[in-house]
Amino acid sequence: MTITIPPTIRGIEFSADMLFVTAKAWILTLLGRFLPDWLIVLASITISGVVILCLGPLIMMYLTLLERKLIGRIQNRYGPNRVGKWGLLQPIADGIKMFTKEDIVPAKADKVVHLLAPIAIVVPALMIFLVVPFGERMTAVNLNIGLLYFIAVSSITILPIFMGSWASRNKYSLLGGMRTAAQMISYEIPMTLAVVPVIMMSQSLSTNTIVLTQEGSYDMNWFIFTPWGIVGFVIFFLCATAECNRPPFDLPEAESELVAGFHTEYSGMKFALFYMAEYMNAFTLCGIAVTLFLGGWQGPFFPSWLWFSGKTFVLICVMIWFRGTFPRFRVDHLMGFAWKFLLPLTLINILLTALWQFTSNLAAWLWSILILGVSLWTLVKLNRTFVPEKRHYLLES
Amino acid sequence: MTLFGWGVLKGMGVTFKNFLTSYFRKPDEGGIFTVQYPEEREGTAENYRNFPFLVYDGAPEKIRCVACGICERECPPKCIHIEMELDAAGKPARKPAVFDIDYGLCMNCGMCEEVCPFDSIFMDHAFEVAAPERQIGLVRHKKELLKSNEYFREIRPALASAIDQKRKAVEEKKKAAAQPASSQSSGGTGSL
Amino acid sequence: MPILEIAAKYTTYAVMAVILVFALGVVTLRNLFHCALCLAAALIGTAVLYVVLQAEYLAAIQILLYVGAVVTLVIFAIMLTEHLAGKTVRQNNSQSLPAIAGLLGFVSLLTALILKTPWPVTPTALQAKVLVMGLGKALMGDYVFPFEVISIVLIAALIGTVVIAKKDQPEEKA
Repeated sequence: MTITIPPTIRGIEFSADMLFVTAKAWILTLLGRFLPDWLIVLASITISGVVILCLGPLIMMYLTLLERKLIGRIQNRYGPNRVGKWGLLQPIADGIKMFTKEDIVPAKADKVVHLLAPIAIVVPALMIFLVVPFGERMTAVNLNIGLLYFIAVSSITILPIFMGSWASRNKYSLLGGMRTAAQMISYEIPMTLAVVPVIMMSQSLSTNTIVLTQEGSYDMNWFIFTPWGIVGFVIFFLCATAECNRPPFDLPEAESELVAGFHTEYSGMKFALFYMAEYMNAFTLCGIAVTLFLGGWQGPFFPSWLWFSGKTFVLICVMIWFRGTFPRFRVDHLMGFAWKFLLPLTLINILLTALWQFTSNLAAWLWSILILGVSLWTLVKLNRTFVPEKRHYLLES
Repeated sequence: MTLFGWGVLKGMGVTFKNFLTSYFRKPDEGGIFTVQYPEEREGTAENYRNFPFLVYDGAPEKIRCVACGICERECPPKCIHIEMELDAAGKPARKPAVFDIDYGLCMNCGMCEEVCPFDSIFMDHAFEVAAPERQIGLVRHKKELLKSNEYFREIRPALASAIDQKRKAVEEKKKAAAQPASSQSSGGTGSL
Repeated sequence: MPILEIAAKYTTYAVMAVILVFALGVVTLRNLFHCALCLAAALIGTAVLYVVLQAEYLAAIQILLYVGAVVTLVIFAIMLTEHLAGKTVRQNNSQSLPAIAGLLGFVSLLTALILKTPWPVTPTALQAKVLVMGLGKALMGDYVFPFEVISIVLIAALIGTVVIAKKDQPEEKA
């Protein structure tokens, strides 16, 4: 029996670029032979959904391994290398460990909310995957408000953290939860404003369209190759690091001060879910950063999905590199950095983009750099650390 | 004033250099320090002492220990148990029939090594002595405790050769004393 | 695809029912924190309804503003209020009867208004879809004045916070 190529597939040229798209179309046409139309619609949704639901945890599992390996190398150690070749089965061993661990709920905890928090935190983390364009025609749902959706959904993440921290009835959890909320609200504002220039230049909120506007010659007309793009990218990336509570912005789970922050009282699989959400957020935020500033899946020679995953991988490695390098912020420095440094800079960046839209040539480069330099210098001057004058007390004789 | 953010970049440069050098440098020059224990081992120092063992010469029957029981008496945590072997006539055979050391009790003080007048008990280099349970799992019997002089020479060459020389000298002296005076005198005259 | 449409219809009803349950929870539950969580759930449910009605922009803004900002603020307030978060507080007091009377009046007024208003449901109106671009143009064009006026409220709030947060002047020495 030979499998004939279904007619709908003939329209799509069979190339490495369209590998996954073709695979999905093929499955759907195969199903179309013996299923009614409305089930095909459901099947299409289910396939994308199942892929995302598998992709999320898988990414999380191997991000933990990657992180441990890279951090190990930075600290002159081997990372995990016992379970499987190069420790490749380590995440699975960790998963088994997490599943079989005892689930401890504090006696005075709010049982229902305590249980719901880790479940609720995974939902927004998985929902963001919907608008990430993994490749050409590989956005799960091509919303025309994709970016807004991303911002809205990532803002819900605060709620489960609050739930978990409050329901644990633990002072460390509560302090961690409060810190998380303060930090996430603060960093959401510069993050949202850092995105605005991209929306202005691409004139769309759809992640797919934003990637398409970065096409250009050799598919290399990425937004990061403009002055406002660099600034926007740096601000967005820093805020993304703060949003997913990664070092050096990991005050919510500062081990030396708060045991483990909002998930102090969690164990076993519930704890793993918190971690899963954190790593999936790290991935999606890197993916969105790639989409917005690094041209998404645009790039010469290689298939689109490879470009996207490669760029995202590099960004994640940078996040891990941050973790291996920087000590933790102090609380007031953290807040000051967001409100007094990043926020004014984003506003200047928006103005700069507005000017750039009308004049983009070599001269524009020069004066953009000038404006940025002056504003950066001013902000640094205004933000300089206040060192109180040393007081000398004369000893009374 | 240095450039804003320069320190941050410098710090990241340091960690990145560390990351790269971990792949091709030696431990002392910025490479990985880790010794992957079961496969790789660092050699133990010669004077490292951990848990006593019994030395024999040549074959396990030629055990140096005469079951005098000095170590048993001197042992601070009393972890040694010795029983004298009796020959057919019921007389002590100057050999241990039972020689047990409870490694669970032993505190590695090395007293037994110091007090032994027959150079038969010495501290080992053994550190992989895990046992599934602590009551009798860590008790070592004579069979396990017996180790050859060659092994002793291998792990602690300086001490072993010193002991060997001493024993040789004693043996020669004994031989000289046991042999008739003629040979001794002839040797003596020769030297004179 | 009638089956999908029917399914969507009943899912919408189910969502509405869930919103009602959570809304009742907001006003009846005795633990303030639970009330706040119910409020968040009800607001998210409303956003889902907006999505069903093809107003994605409104849904996203609903979640961003109400769940992301307002509920967080409410929870912050609850947590910062001493000894309130853990307690079980009665949700009604002796004024409940007059409150019910007022509420009934309001509801009857609202129903009368809804029944009186002619709803111009035409096929073209059903087909019309508000795009984000259109909303942006409307905000920056026709409705730029109210838009800017609202920003004054924001400025006022910001200045107010600064005034409140500012340290008091040290009292002059007598």
